[in-house]
Amino acid sequence: MQLDHRIPSGPLTEKWDRFRFETKLINPANKRKFEIIVVGAGLAGASASATLGELGYNVKTFCIQDSPRRGHSIAAQGGINAAKNCQNDGDSIWRLFYDTIKGGDFRAREANVYRLAQISNQIIDQCVAQGVPFAREYGGLLANRSFGGAQVSRTFYARGQTGQQLLLGAYSAMMRQVKTGKVTLHPRSEMMDLVVINGQARGIVTRNLITGAIDSHAADAVVLATGGYGNAYYLSTNAMASNVTATWRAYKRGAAFANPCFVQIHPTCIPVHGTYQSKLTLMSESLRNDGRVWVPTRSGDKRPPTEIPEAERDYYLEKKYPSFGNLVPRDVASRNAKEQCDQGKGVGDTGLAVYLDFADAINRLGEAAIRQKYGNLFDMYEKITGQDPVKEPMTIYPAVHYTMGGLWVDYHLMSTVPGLFVLGEANFSDHGANRLGASALMQGLADGYFVLPATISSHFAKSALVPITTSHPAFTEAIDTTKGRIQRLLSINGKRTPDDFHRELGLLLWDHCGMARNEAGLKLALDRLSELREKFWHNLKVTGSGADLNQTLERAGRVADFIEFAEVMILDALSRQESCGCHFREESQTAEHEAKRIDDTYSHVSAWQYQGEDQTPTLHKEPLVFENIQLSQRSYK
Amino acid sequence: MNIIHLTLKIWRQTGPESKGSFKTYESGPITTAMSFLEMLDVLNERLILSGEEPVAFDHDCREGICGMCGSVINGTPHGPEKKTTLCQLHMRHFKDGDTLVIEPFRSRAFKLVKDLIVDRSPFDAIIAEGGYVSVNTGGTPDANAIPIPTFTAEQALDAAECIGCGACVAACPNGSAMLFVGAKISHLALLPQGQPERSKRALAMVKKMDELGFGNCGNEKYCEKACPKGISISNIARLNREFMKAAFCSVEE
Amino acid sequence: MSWILTVLSSSIGKKYIMAVSGACLSFFLLAHLIGNSVSFWGKEAYNSYASHLHSLGFLIYILEILLLLLFLVHIVMGITLFIENLSARPNRYAVKEKERNWSASTMPYTGILILLFLVVHLVNFHFITKTVSTAELVKTTLSNPLIASFYLLSLSGLTLHASHGFWSLFQSLGINHQKYNKLLQLGGLAMAVIIGTTFILIPLLIVTTDSFLQ
Repeated sequence: MQLDHRIPSGPLTEKWDRFRFETKLINPANKRKFEIIVVGAGLAGASASATLGELGYNVKTFCIQDSPRRGHSIAAQGGINAAKNCQNDGDSIWRLFYDTIKGGDFRAREANVYRLAQISNQIIDQCVAQGVPFAREYGGLLANRSFGGAQVSRTFYARGQTGQQLLLGAYSAMMRQVKTGKVTLHPRSEMMDLVVINGQARGIVTRNLITGAIDSHAADAVVLATGGYGNAYYLSTNAMASNVTATWRAYKRGAAFANPCFVQIHPTCIPVHGTYQSKLTLMSESLRNDGRVWVPTRSGDKRPPTEIPEAERDYYLEKKYPSFGNLVPRDVASRNAKEQCDQGKGVGDTGLAVYLDFADAINRLGEAAIRQKYGNLFDMYEKITGQDPVKEPMTIYPAVHYTMGGLWVDYHLMSTVPGLFVLGEANFSDHGANRLGASALMQGLADGYFVLPATISSHFAKSALVPITTSHPAFTEAIDTTKGRIQRLLSINGKRTPDDFHRELGLLLWDHCGMARNEAGLKLALDRLSELREKFWHNLKVTGSGADLNQTLERAGRVADFIEFAEVMILDALSRQESCGCHFREESQTAEHEAKRIDDTYSHVSAWQYQGEDQTPTLHKEPLVFENIQLSQRSYK
Repeated sequence: MNIIHLTLKIWRQTGPESKGSFKTYESGPITTAMSFLEMLDVLNERLILSGEEPVAFDHDCREGICGMCGSVINGTPHGPEKKTTLCQLHMRHFKDGDTLVIEPFRSRAFKLVKDLIVDRSPFDAIIAEGGYVSVNTGGTPDANAIPIPTFTAEQALDAAECIGCGACVAACPNGSAMLFVGAKISHLALLPQGQPERSKRALAMVKKMDELGFGNCGNEKYCEKACPKGISISNIARLNREFMKAAFCSVEE
Repeated sequence: MSWILTVLSSSIGKKYIMAVSGACLSFFLLAHLIGNSVSFWGKEAYNSYASHLHSLGFLIYILEILLLLLFLVHIVMGITLFIENLSARPNRYAVKEKERNWSASTMPYTGILILLFLVVHLVNFHFITKTVSTAELVKTTLSNPLIASFYLLSLSGLTLHASHGFWSLFQSLGINHQKYNKLLQLGGLAMAVIIGTTFILIPLLIVTTDSFLQ
């Protein structure tokens, strides 16, 4: 397999312009001859569907929810970055580019990230024109906040629900195309397989989640915008239905999976309460601006926090990182919380939490000021836990939040299967080994509104696509495979539910492929994983039939794919024997126990290629070339 | 954290055409830290193991923003807590021994799919009629070209907070969608970007709303009370106003 | 001009019709109330008001026809909405919402009560060959405890109807403003209570006080 990144030549700042100039265009009258399938209707999928429809292509958009307005982009709280320099605080496209690539610990492509920074400004213009009600200053101009430790204020926001407002913008633009007939919606449809004909992605097989019908759809290109795989860990901040199935099926049809071990774990989430817990809720990390993180100095100290005197509290972040204190990056904060809990100093019923204390800030600024700043977050916390963070410290714990890995794509966002494009969190392209706050929304929209619509025409112009219908044998084969698989899941009739297996998988990954990884643990996890897979296919219980709405069957299918996928994730974590970004290999530490990157050996993208059932996948490496920036080691001491 | 036991009377219906009925289940031990949907998860796990089909219910983000969840608990959509979606309702609000009657959203426009799941696609159909600003991607003016007063932006956002869950329709004795439509109309009517299509939008969206079988607003305010995002009925008044202006003063038909 | 029909037959159009006819009926109610209040000044004053009213001649017929039309529109539209809304939610919930909005939920029922009242009221005082003065007619008719209690019941119904109706008509017409909403709500309620109690006072005084209108 050749990994050709297809980055245009020339200086970094001119690559995107050059690409757009050199690319072949499709005559407007000819665009209506092309059919495009878009899977997923979050920010990336909806924005791509809308824009492709506007350009004149015929688009079919699929989502698993009952309405395309519900993709999990909707849950993003913080905001969206753009290099507009509205605050005159020294921001620029170059700075956003640099921050993003440095934040990703130098494991992303320069050209992709620079393009993202360039497009960021247009995204804000586009969203405002659609009627997205961003926060405003009193003079009527857009407001910004600084986010995720950035030194400039470049984050645009709409209260704590920026994701929802941006998604509603993209969704409404798409609904406009639904009205014109250019976009056809297929809600409650799950992609079950990708159909590849003559080496080209030419269609998909779907399951209608209401009737259970297995349908096939042919097209000239397939676009996956199906989000990340964080739910492999069972507990995460993802939505319940978020899954890896679409990208995993594509992988099994030849698309390489890049950097699957890069999983971001967010430090400020509401801790787990019990085994029945179904998901974790993120609290904006802005809380760390005023909250102080601590645990009792003595392990096993079960006193309520208010009874622990100051001298017996360990403000471990402030002690360890005097200059950054509680504001260290996400991965550092997460790892340190885990370390404290591993030493038995964790708090709460489960011992898997640390305190985030606002008492000092309240003493300094007054309760009113703190409520004004964090009121909605405090309410959210109280709604879930029943505790008031003003009266007693919050308890927080890290949770899986975002996956930087995804299907490998080139500069055109095309995967290793020609005609298969991958957008948003589903691809690996822009965040390297760690994503900065407020950058996910930016990437999803950049891909959907601006990048894909420009690159897909070059694909159509270059490829000689023969007309294909769903009567092609490749479709029949994919339908049969899908049906066989569903039948297999239904016929096991064992004694454990899909969720039960999912929980076991989640725990295994969390323990051995979570915040800190080591060779022994990962190898152990591999062994356990194959046992789990064996148990799953022998002892699974799915009620009902396939010809009906069957949520247990839906889950079983997704869990089966997560179990298969986990193997590649662990293999990737094993092969990357360096610490970088959120991937912390215990073998690769500095003398001060900080992450140590090894640029000589690991400055590459790891792309895994499927080799067949029960075969170890092949690792391909795309070297990362840095011509415009100097690589540096992160230090927060 | 306490343990409670509940009696659950849940609406079971295999499909849109079949006849449904209530079935009574004992919840078993439930910890008060659970969310309502986690309580249903626990029940469903048990049902699966006993070979009975679990209760089908819609849910996704479980953090109160996607708008996918929602059932009627003892007569109230999303349950007894104000401004709270069902997924954010926690079991500490119930007492040991309580009986909970769990029903799907009921209205002519929302066809029942299975058990507690209903079809809310009529909302999408209404949005497709005009719930947008007709701008193509690219070529848009600078985001700061038109200043918008803070208060206006905030008011627009108050309306735009709607998550499209359908609780307003479920709560309305007339099955009216006026709060949903009012919120979208208000969001765009308040902003300068929404002005060019203001009249057309109001007429088209109301027309579609009527066609889809939603009832008439009786100004009874049940929708406002049920809304998990606290959308105000002042948005319905604005919709009435917008529609009247469009109908009598604009040239659109 | 077919657009007018389209507009008025839409869900919001029907609400306008209810609101506008309701508003006009409210003005009638107010005028009627002021007329009735003359009875507090005694029999002579009341009779003289009645004869003045009757002396308006054909003008009174025009007003009556207009009033009849208003009532018809309000009633027909009300019944149409009632039936439409029943079918918009064919399945009721097993458990009823605990906090009910009584005045709003009972609008159709209080409306029907008022319609019945209207018939009785017209039979009592309009479609009747008058042999005595208006004051005497009122006095004798309402002295019948059965009729008096029906009046009391219906007028309480009217109060409930108006307590929602007054505010509701502003809402339907889109008259809603953060600064004045409280005023509209309280004002509407106060108007309903004032109008209702004043109307109720007449049969109540007739039943309880011998000297009233004597």
